[in-house]
Amino acid sequence: MPSYKLYYFNGRGRAEVARLIFAAAGEKYEDVRYERDQWPAHKAEMPLGQMPVLEVDGVKLPQSLSIARFLAKQFHLAGKDNFEQAQVDAVVDTIYDCLTKYVPIRFETDEAKKEELTKKFLAEELPKHLQNFETLGKLYGKGGHFFVGKQLTWADLLFFDVGAIILQVDSNAFNNHAWLKQNRAEVEKQPKIAEYLKNRPQTQF
Amino acid sequence: MSSGDLKFYYFDLQARGELTRLILAAAGRSYEDIRFGFDKWPEYKPKMILGQAPVLELADGTQLPQSLTIARYVAREAGLAGSDNLESAKIDAVVDTQKDVNETYFSKVFPEKDETKKAEELKKFLDETVTKHVENLGKLKKAYSKDEKYFVGDKLSWADLFVFQSIQALLQAVPEVKGKFGEQFKPLMDAINGNENIKKYLDARPQTAF
Repeated sequence: MPSYKLYYFNGRGRAEVARLIFAAAGEKYEDVRYERDQWPAHKAEMPLGQMPVLEVDGVKLPQSLSIARFLAKQFHLAGKDNFEQAQVDAVVDTIYDCLTKYVPIRFETDEAKKEELTKKFLAEELPKHLQNFETLGKLYGKGGHFFVGKQLTWADLLFFDVGAIILQVDSNAFNNHAWLKQNRAEVEKQPKIAEYLKNRPQTQF
Repeated sequence: MSSGDLKFYYFDLQARGELTRLILAAAGRSYEDIRFGFDKWPEYKPKMILGQAPVLELADGTQLPQSLTIARYVAREAGLAGSDNLESAKIDAVVDTQKDVNETYFSKVFPEKDETKKAEELKKFLDETVTKHVENLGKLKKAYSKDEKYFVGDKLSWADLFVFQSIQALLQAVPEVKGKFGEQFKPLMDAINGNENIKKYLDARPQTAF
């Protein structure tokens, strides 16, 4: 049995999808969390001087989505054949495109500018991303509530996580997207996920 | 294998389509290479699953969007995505690392219209981003490679093709980048240029602006 160690800051951020995958699979791992002031001492230990990093039996893997895909495949949460895995990857990339558009806004330090950019994002950017998510879910989901192939995959877990960020920006974001609301509800009620959400540390990000 | 199996839709450019074309070439896989100019895009856009390109379409009409997803899928089908899950993950990590740099170029340098600002961004890109990136690629290669050529293990993977294509594309756009990669990727570039299937494809591919 491989041993897993996940290194990240003490927050959800780019590591949470990996934690959700471990939780959904009921698999154990060492959840290493560094506070900001501890990080400089460990930066040189990471392959690219960044986190998250997954250590599997001594091998270190950087890059949050590569880590998540690896874990999902280990635990059969990645799609049941090569084409389903590709459909899952397509959903993941599409979710990630939306997140990439939002992240610079989230980190904008000028408060007035941030408010303006956020309004613009909500009005102009977000609607087409949400439409894309639904298009893929309805096509690949074969009539079910999950994004691909009628079962839970890491695409659903990533959407659950990123969805929470979107809802923080606008709690009404999914009002016109029943399918997306339903998808998140299905993830939330999986027993192992529900348990994890109840017990995970409450952090700033 | 009939080329009716697989259809690849993209602009008549390299950009986000070329990696998949290279993988299919390396694999000796035939497919319909559907290329269109910007003037034809309004015709194609409504037929593409998310109104974007590239798109890969299977024989039964199912479509896959997202350039790297498509590349990973055809690489897996061709045995160019690692021999086990951990190797696949190492390959993905190299791809993601190269992608980060490409996206930095495309978001910070390429779209800048102001000549002075563009020169500033380019200098920053060359001095900081590319320098760090070459270092990072070197570190990953050292950690994952089993020979002097390929990034992961001891055989060609789509990570090698992505780095190859990205370096070529960057050299075409920014010739000043030439010295920054040093000699460390020369064995890889030589191996890829010397690969029979790839050489055949490279010799025949259309010349495009980027």
